[in-house]
Amino acid sequence: MNDKDFKQGILATTALSPGVVAFGLLYGVMARQVGFSPWEAWAMSLIVHAGSAQFTILSMWAAVGTLPIILTTLVVNLRHLLMGASVAPYLRGLHPLWKALLALWMSDESYALAIAEYRQGRGSHWYFLGANVGIYLAWSTSGLLGALLGAAIPDPGRYGLDMVFPLGFLGLLTAFLQDRTGAAVALAAGGLALLGALLLPGQGTVVVAGMLGSGMGLLLERVMGRK
Amino acid sequence: MDKFIIFLGMALATYLTRYTMIAALGQEMPSLLQHWLRYVPVALLAALIVPAALAPQGCLEIGLRAWAVLAGSLVAWRTRNVLWTILGGLAVFWLFRILGI
Repeated sequence: MNDKDFKQGILATTALSPGVVAFGLLYGVMARQVGFSPWEAWAMSLIVHAGSAQFTILSMWAAVGTLPIILTTLVVNLRHLLMGASVAPYLRGLHPLWKALLALWMSDESYALAIAEYRQGRGSHWYFLGANVGIYLAWSTSGLLGALLGAAIPDPGRYGLDMVFPLGFLGLLTAFLQDRTGAAVALAAGGLALLGALLLPGQGTVVVAGMLGSGMGLLLERVMGRK
Repeated sequence: MDKFIIFLGMALATYLTRYTMIAALGQEMPSLLQHWLRYVPVALLAALIVPAALAPQGCLEIGLRAWAVLAGSLVAWRTRNVLWTILGGLAVFWLFRILGI
């Protein structure tokens, strides 16, 4: 229906793809160290397409069986429930097949790009799809590349490339910070997530921080009686 | 072959988390829920940024990553541009690394 939006969605991901690629290369290198062949490493990215879950699974691959692996994937990805919930209002009225398709490759990055557009009244499902596809291509290709190059790549963290994601998210965050309530929510959620990262293992705390932080926004909104 | 069955299981688990809410919240939502969901992106993004800046290894650390995010915040606030924010933050990361701060 609108291939211009689709192209724009793909183009928008180029701002974030250096981070995706750095992360993907690292993933490929790690997968080889755990004993995956390059093709197996690639297949995991193509089939699963969930970076933080894939990293988590690699780190425990040798130690646990199939069921714990699948359960861990579920827990690491729980934040997608929140993302899905917040983007759902914009997808209302779409054909169920469209919703199913958009959910398939919804990543942190493509979700953030898409919902930023929706909030500014410009978003569309074609843009969302384009963002999904752009990130999918960057992630899967760089994973294969990393696995093929093996240990030839030095530690990407040395160059701060792991910071490209957080910095990109920071750039996107400003699109949502329209009032003091939003700023308070950001501070609360960030503080809670930090506390969680310091005190608890794993990635579940992002979900809890996201829920409590946004819940606090609702509370503040009610108490102060304004937006 | 075993690996591919595990990959499929992981993919299914991932898809479940991505699709459930999109499918479930297709109808008109209560306004309270709508208002709550408005704050979800801010909260999630902040929850992803802050630990990466201040606790990259799981313990508190005011280092290069904290300075990079601080610089990025300034750039983001002034420009509201994703690319400039990334470049600004990385520039400070590299600068401070070279200077040995």
